[in-house]
Amino acid sequence: MSDSLDIKIAVNSFRVFQGREEALRGVTLDIPANRILGIIGPSGSGKTTFLRALNRLNDLMPDTHVEGQVLLDGNDIYHPSFDVVSLRKRVGMLFALPVALPMSIYENVVYGPRLSGVRKRALLDAIVERSLKSAFLWDEVKDRLQMSGLRLSGGQQQRLCLARVLAMEEVEVILLDEPCSGLDPISTAKIEDALTVLKEKYTIVLVTNNTKQAARVADDTAFFLLGELVEYGPTKKIFTVPDDKRTNEYVTGRFG
Amino acid sequence: MAVTVLGAATLLTVVVLVFIIAFVLVKGLPGVTWEFLSSAPKDMGKAGGIFPTLVGTVLLPLLAIAIALPLGVGTAVYLTEYTRENQLTRALRFGTDCLAGIPSIIFGLFGFIFFVVMLKMGWCLLSGALTLAIMVLPTIIRTSEEAIRSVPNAYREVSFSLGATRWETVLKVVLPNALPGIVTGMILGIGRSIGETAAVIFTAGSSLRMPMSVFDSVRTMSVHFYILAREGISNENAYATAAVLIISVLLINLVAYSMMHRFIAKRSK
Repeated sequence: MSDSLDIKIAVNSFRVFQGREEALRGVTLDIPANRILGIIGPSGSGKTTFLRALNRLNDLMPDTHVEGQVLLDGNDIYHPSFDVVSLRKRVGMLFALPVALPMSIYENVVYGPRLSGVRKRALLDAIVERSLKSAFLWDEVKDRLQMSGLRLSGGQQQRLCLARVLAMEEVEVILLDEPCSGLDPISTAKIEDALTVLKEKYTIVLVTNNTKQAARVADDTAFFLLGELVEYGPTKKIFTVPDDKRTNEYVTGRFG
Repeated sequence: MAVTVLGAATLLTVVVLVFIIAFVLVKGLPGVTWEFLSSAPKDMGKAGGIFPTLVGTVLLPLLAIAIALPLGVGTAVYLTEYTRENQLTRALRFGTDCLAGIPSIIFGLFGFIFFVVMLKMGWCLLSGALTLAIMVLPTIIRTSEEAIRSVPNAYREVSFSLGATRWETVLKVVLPNALPGIVTGMILGIGRSIGETAAVIFTAGSSLRMPMSVFDSVRTMSVHFYILAREGISNENAYATAAVLIISVLLINLVAYSMMHRFIAKRSK
C-alpha cells in the first residue's frame, strides 16, 4: 500500500490473551480509511478475536487482557481514559449470525440513536428511512416498519443489522464478522453490493471464511494463521503472487 | 410399561386435584352469595359475610409483592449481569435456596419478633407484608435469575456493540425479554402469599375490622378459614370462604397469564 492513504486504525504489536492462551500474537497493521480490508484465515486463526478487539467487545469475555496499541485516528482505544461507549458508537459491528432484537424493525434501527438521546419523531423517521435505504432493505420493509424484526428472513435480518449500525450518526468504521456465513448467494450479493457503496463513507473491516468473498470485495487482504498476521497487502497481490508460501496454499485452497 | 406407569401417575394427580377442588366448591359454593361477599362478618364469622377478609386477601399479597419484586429482580440482575460467578455469588445463591426451604411458620415467628415486637409495628398489614415479602423473595430471585439467564447472550452483545451501557442493556434488552419468567415468579409469589396462614396470623393478626391503613390489623381469607374451621365456628362459612379463595387464585393466575401472553404477542407481531 502506498503511504498516501489516510490511516484510520493503526494496530501496533497487539496481543490478546484469553486465560493462559495467547489468541493474538503481536499483530501490527494499518487499516486505511475508506477501503475494505478483508481478513481471511482458517478457523482458530484469531481473525474474529482481532475484529472484536477493534471495538473492545472482547472486554465482555472473562479472563481477557490485551497488550500493545490500537489507535483510532491516533488515539489509543485501550487507554483508560478512552470511553468505550463512544468507541462502540464510532466502530459498529455486524455479527456472523444476524441478530434482530425482539422488537419492531423501526425500534431495531433507532436503538443506537435513541441511546444517543435522539427523541424527535421526525428525526428518528428520517434516520430509519436513510439507514434502511443504505442497507438496501427499505423497499422490502417500508410498509411494515412496526412488524417484529424477528419475522424477517435471515438475509433481511442481516441487512437490518447493517441498517442498525448505519443509523448511528457517529459511526465511522464497520466491522463485519463473517456476515454472510448463514446467507444464500443472493442475500450475500446484496450485502456485498451495500459494502462497496458504503466504503465511500466508512472504513470497513470484513472477516470472512470465504476467500472468494475477500477476493470479490476487499481492497486489501490480511491473512491470519494461528494468531499471527502472516501477510497483508493489496487483495490482487495476496491472491496472485503472495510472498508467503502459507498464504499461497491457503488462497489456492490447499489447506484451511 | 413406562407409559402405563407414567400415565397412571398423571391420571392420579389430576384426579386428586380435581377431586379436592370439586369437593371444596360443591360444599362451599352454595354459601357464596353477593351478600356473603359484600357484607361484614357477624358473631366472629358464624354469620354475615367475608368482605373485610376479601380486602385483606387482596391487599396483603399485593403489598408483599410490591416490596419483594424490586428487591428480588434487583438482586437477580446484580447476580447475573453485574458479577462474575465467584464465592460470593455462590454463597448468596446457596443462602436464597436455604431461605426457600424454611417453613413459613419460622418466617411468621421472625416477623412477629422483629416487626411486631421489636419495631413496635404491632399486628398490621405492613408487618404481614414485610414478612411475606421476605418469604417469597427466594422464589422471585431464583425465577428471575433463570429468566435473565435465558435471554440470549447475542442480544446483550448487539446492545453493547451499539454503544449501550450495561444498565441500558439491562433496561432495554434483558428485562423485557426476561419478563415472562419474572411474571411467573411473581405469580408463584402471590399464590404463596394468598395461601399463607401461619406467617400471616403471627404478623398481620386476625382482626375482622376493615383495614383503613397499612398499620391496621387484617385477616386474610386463609386465616379466616383456618379460624372458622379450627374453632368450630361455622363449617358452612369455612367452606364458602375456601371456595372464594380457590376461585380468587384461579382468577389471579388467569389474569396474569393473559397479560403475559398479550405482552409476548405484542412483541413478536
